Order: sequence, then C-alpha cells, then structure tokens
Amino acid sequence: MKATVSLPLLSATNVDAGYGHVRVLESVSIDVRQGRIVVLVGRNGAGKSTLLRALSGLNRPTAGKVTFDGRDITTARPNAIVDAGLLHVAEGRRLFRRQSVADNIELGRYALRLTEQEHDRRVDRIHQLFPILQEKMNLPAGSLSGGQQQMLAIAQAMMREPKLLMLDEPSLGLAPVLVDQVFAAILALRAQGVAILLVEQLVEHALEIADDAYVMQNGRVIASGPAAEIAAGDALQAAFMGEHGAPHHPEPRQSGS
Amino acid sequence: MDIDVLAHGIVAGSLYALVAVSFNILYRPTNVFNFAQGELVMLGAMIFASLTSLAGMPWLVAFAGTLVAVGCIGLVEERIAVAPILARSQTGTGWVITTLATSLIISNLVGRFWGPDPILVKPPALLSMDSLDIGASRISSYEIALVLVTLVLVAIVERVYRTLKGKAVMAVAEDREAALLRGIDPGSLGRWSFFLGAAFAAMTGVLAAPILYASTSLGPDLLLKGFAAAAVGSIGNNRGALIAGYVIGVTEAVGASLLSPGYQEAVIFIVVLAVLLLKPEGLFGSPNARTV
Repeated sequence: MKATVSLPLLSATNVDAGYGHVRVLESVSIDVRQGRIVVLVGRNGAGKSTLLRALSGLNRPTAGKVTFDGRDITTARPNAIVDAGLLHVAEGRRLFRRQSVADNIELGRYALRLTEQEHDRRVDRIHQLFPILQEKMNLPAGSLSGGQQQMLAIAQAMMREPKLLMLDEPSLGLAPVLVDQVFAAILALRAQGVAILLVEQLVEHALEIADDAYVMQNGRVIASGPAAEIAAGDALQAAFMGEHGAPHHPEPRQSGS
Repeated sequence: MDIDVLAHGIVAGSLYALVAVSFNILYRPTNVFNFAQGELVMLGAMIFASLTSLAGMPWLVAFAGTLVAVGCIGLVEERIAVAPILARSQTGTGWVITTLATSLIISNLVGRFWGPDPILVKPPALLSMDSLDIGASRISSYEIALVLVTLVLVAIVERVYRTLKGKAVMAVAEDREAALLRGIDPGSLGRWSFFLGAAFAAMTGVLAAPILYASTSLGPDLLLKGFAAAAVGSIGNNRGALIAGYVIGVTEAVGASLLSPGYQEAVIFIVVLAVLLLKPEGLFGSPNARTV
C-alpha cells in the first residue's frame, strides 16, 4: 500500500511509551505528512526524545498504534523500521567514533543492496550537501567537530534515502554558523521530498523553518497546528513557563541509555 | 636460553592465541565472554579424533564436519544460554553463570560418551610430528606449519573485520543502540559470531590434537590460557591476542625449564597479574580498539 498525499506518512495514535516501568508518554498522537518539516517543542523531560525512540522502535510503545507509509510499525524491530524508510538520528549523533568517516557513511547503507552507480550517486549527494565531509573521509569520526559529526550522522541516514528523517537536537552544542548549515541541510532535504520530524531546543529558529508543530509537556501533546500559529500562540508560553502544574525547576533529561 | 624452549613456547603460544581469537570473535558483537569456549575446543578435538582415527574419514571431510558440528553447538548455546539473558538486559551479567553451566554440561556429557583416555591424532598428510633437526631445535614439521597457519588465520580474521559486515560488528561493539538506528541487527550478528566463534574454537582443537592429543580434559587448560592471552592482549584485539599468546607460551616454556614444570602455571598467572595490574585494559589499548 502506498501513502497518498492525503494520508499522513507517519501517524502515531494514542501512544504510551517509557523506560521499563516508568511511563513517559501518555496517549501521544502526531501526524507527519510527506515532504513536511514537523517540529516537536517542549521543555527537557517533556518526552520528545522518548517519542522519537518509540517511533524508531528503541522503546516499544506499550499502548497505541504507529503506522508508517501505510504499514503498522508499532511492534516492528528497529532494523525493520529503518528498512521501511524511517530514520532516526539520535541525540548526541551516536557515531561510530573509532571508525573512519567513510566507514560510517558505508555503515549507513548496511544490508542495503545498491548498484555501484546508485551507491556513488548517493555518496555524491552527501558530498554536495556537506563538502567538508569529503575532505575528512579517512579520519576517525571521533576526530570531527560537533558540527561535522552532526553532518556525518545526517549523511549516514541519507545513504538510505529516507522517507522520513527524525532529528533529535541537531543543533546541540554547535556554533551559530554551524547551526545555520545544519538547518540549511534540513531545508535541502525537504526540497528533495524528505519529511523531517525535528526535536529542537532552538524553538524560534525551528518554528521558522517548520511547517507544522507540536507542543509537548509532561509526556502529552498540549497543542498542535501550523508552525506559524504555534509560534504566536499561548501553548508555547505555557509549556516553557511551567503552567499546568508543572514544576519550575528543569527536569532531569531523558537520556535513555 | 635453549632455542628449543623458545620454539615450543611459540608453538604453545600459537594455540593460546587461537583460543583467544575465538573468544574475541564471540565477544565483539555480544560483549559476552563465553566460558564454554574451552569445552568447544575440546569438542573440536574429540569429534575430529573420532571421525579420523576411529571412523577413518578423510582429513578434510572430518575437518569440515567438525567445524560445522561445533559451530551449531555454539549457535544452540547462544539461543538457549545467552540470547534470553541479553534480551532482558544488554548489560546483564547472567551469561557468566549460563555459559559456565554450558561448559559443565558439555564436559560431563563428553566424559560419559568418550571416556578419559586420550586419542592419538595424526597430522594431515605431508606433515609429521617427528622432530626435524634444525640447528639445536627439535621442532616438527607439523609444529612449524601450526605457527604459520596461526599467522594466516589471524590475518584472515582481521580481513573479515574490514568487510562491511565486520565493520557492523565493530559498530555494535562500540554502540549497540546506534547500530540499531542504522538498520544493523545485532541479534543476527551475535548468532553468526557464536557460530563462527565456536567453529573457530573447534578448529583450534583440531589443530591442537596432534600435539596435545584429543582428550576430554583439554578444555579447562586451554580455557585458562586462552583467557590469559585474550586479557593480556586486550579483549577484542586479535593482533594483541597473537602477541599475548606468544608471551604466555614462551613464559610457560621458560618457566618450566628454569624452575620445575610444576610451576609453569603459577609463572603464567604471575605474568598475567603483573600485566593486568599495570595495564588493566591489556597491553594493546582499550577494548575493541582498532589497531590500524
């Protein structure tokens, strides 16, 4: 079954998920449509990263349903979800630091059968989008700067030509000029038809490039809509100022590993 | 020092290195240290001895049959004793008990089946255990071949880790979850590694049999010295395992010739303890480090 324009590419319905017996997400529903940038905003501990982990199969949902590209992936294994075209670039890039940049890119296409031309075409596209990586192909990934590492993590995902790319805090720890580069890459990917689900702490910047937005608080979605409306609305304020009975001190970050 | 002592140290060290490499093959994608590895080596030697000396099969056929049989036993071990533990928690250490239990089960079953008498295993055609007179050394053509084959085997294993599958194994070793997010299935790599690691252990047993005889008591000794080689050479590092195998083999041989043979194991463990006290991660860097 192929997703049509009217059907969302990714659809999560009433998803519960967490770590062991700790439930983090309560009945979360989101949709991501083809070729759109969707941003998830909310404070630390709101459940944004947990949602991405639930969608990519790292933390299997305990309730609810996730469909992607017309398939039910609620209980699918992470590698099956990757094969379906849903890629997740985790917080902190999570590269294979001891292996070279070239090897990391090759691992991005693991278990994928590509013709040589197709393989080279994808590598060329990565080099076009991130020329700096071309110069560093033989260095260990761990020796790259934070920005270059983020580019490499996106490049790994690009080897699979994902339908939907989920990015968790891609700007974390980057200098402003590199943030701009990463955001430009996100826009370039959308221009190629890739849908993006973005978790981002630079809320204003993210809402500027996004089409749709979800505001999360305490494991729930408290508002959703076009990014411009969310940027102007009250829910954002509420989520970050700690209304709805949320504590004022920052909650511990969900690292999950 | 007698050159002969050194030569026999290198021969024994080659076997320890092979056991250590078989540990590493299993360890890399699973972080599991298989305590049944010594018994898998023993099984390799015993099955091979039965197929050749007792059943009269040709060398190559028996060799292939032994590897596949023990590889399958390794796979069964992974399914029953390891996978359920890792499914509960990737960082759980229950496998210490379950692999040790596997070792005891194999050891006891084998004792019933074969009995305690060692079986003589002849080297393959063209090679013999008769000592050649090269200078002062009394080494045999089979022992020379064993040392060379060990070098080739370590080179082949290292070559395998340069393929995409091998790099995926290293990726799993470094960050299992990150590997999952790139579409790598650590479970499948773990099963393959148990099969291949067990087959490699069996091959070590086949190679050791002409020198040590095939006997049901082969396991614990090779487990300990193979473990020592793996630990001193840094666990996960195959070239380190090779060097450390030599170090331990030569230390053992020299210790036995200078002191009494009764002290040879004590000497090994003094060396191992000394290395691990000074460099807990082993002589060759951090676990799973790539030596390029």
